[in-house]
Amino acid sequence: MVEIRSPSVRRGWSESVRARASEIVKQYPDPRSAVMPLLYLAMAEEGYLTDNGMREVAGAVGLTPAQVRAVASFYTMYKRENPGRYLISCCTSISCMLLGSDEVLGAIEDESDVAAGETDPEGLISVEHVECIGACGGAPAVTVNYELIEGMTTEKARELVRWLRAARPEAIVGAECQELFGGRRSFDWGPFDRDSALGPYPAFGPLGTVSGPAGEQDG
Amino acid sequence: MAEPVTVTINRRAVSAQPGEMLIKTAQDNGVYIPRFCWHPRMNPVGMCRMCLVEIETPRGPLMVTSCTTPVSDGMTVDTTNPTVKKAQEGVLEFLLINHPLDCPVCDRAGECPLQDQTMAYGPGESRFVEEKRHFEKPIPISELVMLDRERCILCARCTRFSEEISGDPLIEFQERGNYTEVNTFPDEPFRSYFSGNTVQICPVGALTATPYRFRARPWDLTFVESTCQHCSSGDRINLQSSQNRLLRILGVDSEPTNQGWLSDKCRFGFEYVASPARLTSPLVRDSEGELREASWGEALDYAARALGEVISSSGGRAVAGLGGARGTNEDAYAFSKFLRAAVGTNSVDCQMDDGLDPRLLSGVVDRARIADLESAGSILVWGPDLKEEHPTLYLRVRRAAQELGAGLVVVHPRATGLDDRASVKVTYRPGQGGQVLSELMDGAGRMAEAREVLSKGPVVALLGRPGYGESPDLAEATAAFVRSLPDARVMPLARRGNVFGALDMGLSPALLPGRAQRGTLAAQMLADRWGELPASSGRDCRGILEGLESGGIEALVLMGADPVRDVPDGELARRALGNAGVVVAIDQFLTDSSRMADVVFPAMGFSEVEGTVTNIEGRVLKVNRLTPGPGQSRPDWAILSDLAGRMGVDLGLVSAQQISGEIEELADIYRGVNWERLDWEDRDGIVVSGDLGYVPVFSHVASVDPRPGEMALHYARTMYDDGVMMRESPSLSPLAPGCAAHLHPSDAARLGVGEGDPVDVKSASGSLRAGVVIDPSVEPGVVYVPFNQPDTPSLGSVLGVVVES
Repeated sequence: MVEIRSPSVRRGWSESVRARASEIVKQYPDPRSAVMPLLYLAMAEEGYLTDNGMREVAGAVGLTPAQVRAVASFYTMYKRENPGRYLISCCTSISCMLLGSDEVLGAIEDESDVAAGETDPEGLISVEHVECIGACGGAPAVTVNYELIEGMTTEKARELVRWLRAARPEAIVGAECQELFGGRRSFDWGPFDRDSALGPYPAFGPLGTVSGPAGEQDG
Repeated sequence: MAEPVTVTINRRAVSAQPGEMLIKTAQDNGVYIPRFCWHPRMNPVGMCRMCLVEIETPRGPLMVTSCTTPVSDGMTVDTTNPTVKKAQEGVLEFLLINHPLDCPVCDRAGECPLQDQTMAYGPGESRFVEEKRHFEKPIPISELVMLDRERCILCARCTRFSEEISGDPLIEFQERGNYTEVNTFPDEPFRSYFSGNTVQICPVGALTATPYRFRARPWDLTFVESTCQHCSSGDRINLQSSQNRLLRILGVDSEPTNQGWLSDKCRFGFEYVASPARLTSPLVRDSEGELREASWGEALDYAARALGEVISSSGGRAVAGLGGARGTNEDAYAFSKFLRAAVGTNSVDCQMDDGLDPRLLSGVVDRARIADLESAGSILVWGPDLKEEHPTLYLRVRRAAQELGAGLVVVHPRATGLDDRASVKVTYRPGQGGQVLSELMDGAGRMAEAREVLSKGPVVALLGRPGYGESPDLAEATAAFVRSLPDARVMPLARRGNVFGALDMGLSPALLPGRAQRGTLAAQMLADRWGELPASSGRDCRGILEGLESGGIEALVLMGADPVRDVPDGELARRALGNAGVVVAIDQFLTDSSRMADVVFPAMGFSEVEGTVTNIEGRVLKVNRLTPGPGQSRPDWAILSDLAGRMGVDLGLVSAQQISGEIEELADIYRGVNWERLDWEDRDGIVVSGDLGYVPVFSHVASVDPRPGEMALHYARTMYDDGVMMRESPSLSPLAPGCAAHLHPSDAARLGVGEGDPVDVKSASGSLRAGVVIDPSVEPGVVYVPFNQPDTPSLGSVLGVVVES
């Protein structure tokens, strides 16, 4: 479940976000190690990574903004531009490519009229091609707001785009999308767990970047 | 040192220190392995792949990067076989894929490692027919540095320098893969005091310096090695000129001092040399009170007559001299001899009332060398912010703390450049230094940790005046305390390029050339050559200025000194010069001080005169001449010699080299220090020892509180200021931070002011209006004002100021 807020024009983080940031920093022996989870925090805060967000992260971990931006710009999943409400990421790494991801991506671009790397004018759909998303067994695979759909076909991809446009779901749930548009799965992904596979920043759920400070989501 | 190992390089056995990188061993043994990213003063990364060599392993030959492979005993290396050759060609072909062939318009061409190594090791042709990547070129990444990302080969030398060496990583690799580029954060320029070094170590023309861009071709440059005179570290530099104009300064890798690095002030602060404002003719004040051009004969006669009148009516002691710390030892010696032998006064000072006791500076017992920082167990820095005032020492201390594991205690009234590497940082309110020192001596409470750090010897203490509100006795008392720490050595800090040389030449009331004190045997020997030495005790800078104001001193000779701008109490200096009967100035510019003189002689300066200087550790280094002086300017010593001649005294000075010989003869500690040695086998300098053995005296320094309603003033220098050399260097003059009042957030709130709001800062001797900078690093109740900024009056060396919104 992804909550993407509209970008704020605030000059800096609020005290509560800063407190959460310092909570995360404390989990590492060296503050600079917290740069990646804090970038997710910054992204969650403003919807995407702004210069302001990166400056805040730099301040929190004791790096310069240039160093933080170096990390942020290396990884494609840190968005430095505001993505649409639904971000469709099509894997074009080798397994998916061999099984037709180029066609899938083409179909998504054609149906949505959004080229890879861009967002439609109303800010609803963004399309991108990404490197391996770890679903080679279910190739070709796409994610919508980081929720995985495996065994894609060109027809299903077009249906997916039409459904997003028409239904405008409040939240994207991987299992539901797989049911509606997916094909052969690599293996059973297990039960719904909002802090693991389903968050946009799964590994950092326990650190409080997903649903409040660490520990709150327990039980 | 560990037992050396034997390595076979190209079928030749050589010995090497274990752990040393192969590329270094090869280079030291005459085998050059091509490289781009490896730099002997930085940690290896193995990024460019240019230094591939083949080593023998139990599983057959293996290709490794020689910059990341430590030597081991019995290693067999081949750097030239066909496999290696093929690899080198391949790497160069890859590096050239995106490198534009714009060598004809590139500043680096002719001295470009990529160009040279492509010629020597490259494939000759490329198979790449696709489009190269394109960037906007070139973009300014700071006021001083331009970046051409198309030329960049991503060796990371610049980014590693700024992280590892200078500690301000404002440039980093951005993006990924084929889009990787070096860049800054969008609105945070590469405003580093050391940015010029990245230009020097860039192996291509990606980084260029705005002061040098398109000024010359490397093959048209004439050059000579010299020593920087901006700070007292004695940085070795390479002066480069074309058509008699100084165009560029590069750092020379000299182990004892700068190790190849320079601050931007040193690297780019030479433009003043060719400033149109330089004096080209003597000036004499005419009957209407205006300075007008005069011939040398007229000006010398005028000055000799004016000084002669004062001497015959009030004696030599009514004359005083200030300056000499910005020139060579030879010029300082001439000044000392002129004042003592021709004029007959001991009132001379090369410090501008901003330094420490000269005996402490040049004669402290157990004086530290810069190299002691490398082996230090712990370091105490209690003085000026090294990054602002002693950039080379800043880099050396930083390296000691960051790479060599020394503990670091920094005591300063606000944030300093070393804070991020300090084990303990003590911030205090100016005036409370005595209190801080006694706490540190007790080692209790908040100081327990600092004492713990300083218990690890050998201890090196760098001590000076953190700001001008602080008593100079504090540094001496601290030096006395430091002697109780294990294996402690003290490095007293003082400003101005050759202040230590000037003190060694006797430009201080109590000292004579060769660190001799009056009344000693050495002084006796000096008198045999100089004639009778003045008996009266002299006055220091403050004494001289006060004497001029009150009339006790009637005439002043300035040699490269601008007391109105340089003395913390500039207003006192202004009054003193205004009240002086006669002021004779030897200067390169009409400064605020020389403007008030009766006679001004145009002097040659940096890159125009040959001579020696003495650095902060007593290391004598050679400065050399590359460009002619402007107009009719002459060297300081020649002016003084002629002036003495017109006063009827033959100083016996013939040339700078002859003076150097005279120094060698008369100053015992300078025995054996001559130009031949310094020009050839001892280009890194010769340390003169034979200290006074001055034992610092501990005195209780009372804590001073500002009066009620006042704030404590921290009044300290910044690297770029409104000194005449900076003001006349167009590349650096805009970089002065400008007048500002740094306040703690709580004080700003109390005064009801925010960032940028104007406040009035008033002291007993001056007042100024400055924009507020909210600075949490100062203690509440403290205001920090940078000293000598453009268009700002002086506040004086006071502790308390009134700050009003």
